[in-house]
Amino acid sequence: MINSSRYWVQRSTATSRLGAVLGIMLLAVLISVPYWGGRAEMRLLVEVFYILALAQLWNLLAGYGGLVSVGQQAFLGFGGYMLFVFSIHVGVGAVWTIPLAGILGALISLPVAFLVFRLRGHYFAIGTWVVAEVFMLIFAQIIALGGGSGASLPVSVVRSIASSRSVREATIYWVALAVVVAVIVVIYLLLRSRHGLALTAIRDSEEASRSLGVDNFRAKLMVYIFAAFGTAAIGALIFLTKLRISPAAAFDINWTTTVIFIVVIGGIGTIEGPIIGTIIYFLLREPLADYGSWYLILLGSTAVLIMLKAPQGIWGLISERFELRFFPVQRQLRWTVNDD
Amino acid sequence: MKKSKKVKFNVNEIKKVTRRRFISTAGLVASTAVTAPAILRSGLAYASGRPVKLGYISPKTGPLAPFAEADDFVIAGIRSAFKDGIKIGSQIHPIEIFVKDTQSNPNRCAEVASELILKNKVDILMGAGTPDTTNPLSDQAEINEVPCITSDAPWQPYFFGRGGNPAKGFDWTYHFFWGLEDVIAVFLNLWNSLDTNKVVGALWPNDADGNAWGDKKLGFPPVLASKGFKLIDTGRYQQLNNDFSAQISAFKKANVEIVSGVMIPPDFTTFWTQAAQQGFKPKAVTVGKALLFPAAIEALGDRGTGLSSEVWWTPSHPFRSSLTGDSAGQLSAAYEKNTGKQWTQPIGFRHALFEVAANVLGRTKDVNSPKSIVQAIADTKLDTIVGRVHWGGKPVKNVSKTPLVGGQWVRGSKHKYDLQVVNNKTATNIPVKGVMKPI
Repeated sequence: MINSSRYWVQRSTATSRLGAVLGIMLLAVLISVPYWGGRAEMRLLVEVFYILALAQLWNLLAGYGGLVSVGQQAFLGFGGYMLFVFSIHVGVGAVWTIPLAGILGALISLPVAFLVFRLRGHYFAIGTWVVAEVFMLIFAQIIALGGGSGASLPVSVVRSIASSRSVREATIYWVALAVVVAVIVVIYLLLRSRHGLALTAIRDSEEASRSLGVDNFRAKLMVYIFAAFGTAAIGALIFLTKLRISPAAAFDINWTTTVIFIVVIGGIGTIEGPIIGTIIYFLLREPLADYGSWYLILLGSTAVLIMLKAPQGIWGLISERFELRFFPVQRQLRWTVNDD
Repeated sequence: MKKSKKVKFNVNEIKKVTRRRFISTAGLVASTAVTAPAILRSGLAYASGRPVKLGYISPKTGPLAPFAEADDFVIAGIRSAFKDGIKIGSQIHPIEIFVKDTQSNPNRCAEVASELILKNKVDILMGAGTPDTTNPLSDQAEINEVPCITSDAPWQPYFFGRGGNPAKGFDWTYHFFWGLEDVIAVFLNLWNSLDTNKVVGALWPNDADGNAWGDKKLGFPPVLASKGFKLIDTGRYQQLNNDFSAQISAFKKANVEIVSGVMIPPDFTTFWTQAAQQGFKPKAVTVGKALLFPAAIEALGDRGTGLSSEVWWTPSHPFRSSLTGDSAGQLSAAYEKNTGKQWTQPIGFRHALFEVAANVLGRTKDVNSPKSIVQAIADTKLDTIVGRVHWGGKPVKNVSKTPLVGGQWVRGSKHKYDLQVVNNKTATNIPVKGVMKPI
């Protein structure tokens, strides 16, 4: 590579190699948490993991695919309900409903995509929200799932994961960790691939990318289905920890607004952004949520301030200033001048 | 938050304590059945134990916020009542209270419940304010095996809404409030005291309450049929509906003279405004949930007078607090003086939750064993400011019922509108203040 050519495309950076080492170390620490961590910390980390995974998926949709969906709660709630359907009515083990919910979520996203892809821009955003509301109304009519009243997950289903409480909590923790790692790795590999190049092109300009021969529709559809798969699987995981579902809770638009907040303040269109955003969200929430309305006002003003002062988000500011990239998905052209 | 609250309480404490001392020195307490309980008196002879932690969850923000309006006041009073700790066994234990907001969201409710259980390690979890609050937090308590007491949600949505089996019940979660059978009896008594054609139009939403009230076996329909009422049920509507024209025209066509339902305030306002626009004039409108709070009635203006509702607590309920000896009237007067707002029904029930907790702790044999605490909950027999709390297996193991009467909103003297008890056939010990009049 060094002397074979005067020009080459650089994919990795010093920070990314350092980041990879640090990342693997962090992962090892996270895997070991159930052996030494407290129950409260594990529970909080599970929430951090699934919110981060949701944020990464929405970032892929909006930041790369240009699909600003405000209706991802449709798939989240759908996945949550699949947990109840399959664990209570079919008898599938609770943890196995997670991939199952993902697959069914991906399947149902196909007809939805053909519907909402006919809409552009703001109309697309509103269309996805309408779809989520329709999902909510449908599930509110299904009496076997509690209708509008909702249903609780029987204690026996939760106990079936493992009879001892510590094993059960560790299992849920590892599943959540596996989900978020899988989501980040898949998105990273996807963005580094040929498809990632197409998505980046779409992000920067839809018309230009089409003129260069990118199949916009196919690239977007792929991203949409993948996001639906992940979001539905995460939905099943979330309601396994919440223990209770109702249409209002499952298809709550707050799922999506929280994730949008995270991605916007962290930095849209980067993998690092949602990570930073998730950390900020939890740092704000943990000490301040007890302040009631003031906390919500603070969250809103933070988002407004960042959108006005740093539209590329906090990670955007950092990476611009220090040229840091832990997940390099861009290609940089390098050359040597002292080549003989 | 916790710090700033503590500063506030010191101010309240001074007021409260002097009044309590006054009451006990004046011997007023002696005239009631309840004396200031021994568990609250600090004795020098007792060693002090570890802090006992109580977790309390309510919807402080969001659409359900009126249910939690009185929380700050009630908890301030409770903190000062608990300031000397509670005697459990041979030790005096200081009491810590952790308060969490659900944002009126069942997801957030489950989250804060598990935070209180796992992070704050509360000994008893408590909560109140519609099934959207009581159910998610009770589910978390049940799976995490933490003693739990809730209130302020009709017991059927609480019990059956969580998949409860009457033969088995729940192991860790207990609830006190009234049930559908009570609200049905109260509404029928109100309607029977008027001269009507007995045609009832129902507005039941597709939520935990609406589905329970409209249930063909356990809800209103079978009782209405057996008591000679004709029911016009237009089906479950979706909450935050902005058009009730279809329901109104169906009611007009069937010559409905009585309207009933269990609605959230914005839905009722929409319905009642459109009813006026479309010339629909029923003789009685008796609706659950929407007509509980004075603010909702004030928003309707004079069209709010004559509306009727279930009444679970008023300042004239003949009960006293087992903690402070205050009567229902004294507690609500203190609330009005302290906050400058009109009394609301949840005040008594919030206070009673902590009464039960204090009483339970006083009878707990081993405070370090959750099983021992839950046993003490199950054995409770306590006269509180909302009536007797006693889990005696009726109607189910985990539910204790409190009395319910019927009330009507009238123009007030001190406040703009007053909720007046107009029918007490279901609980004759609660005084009636007026007669039910057609709108």
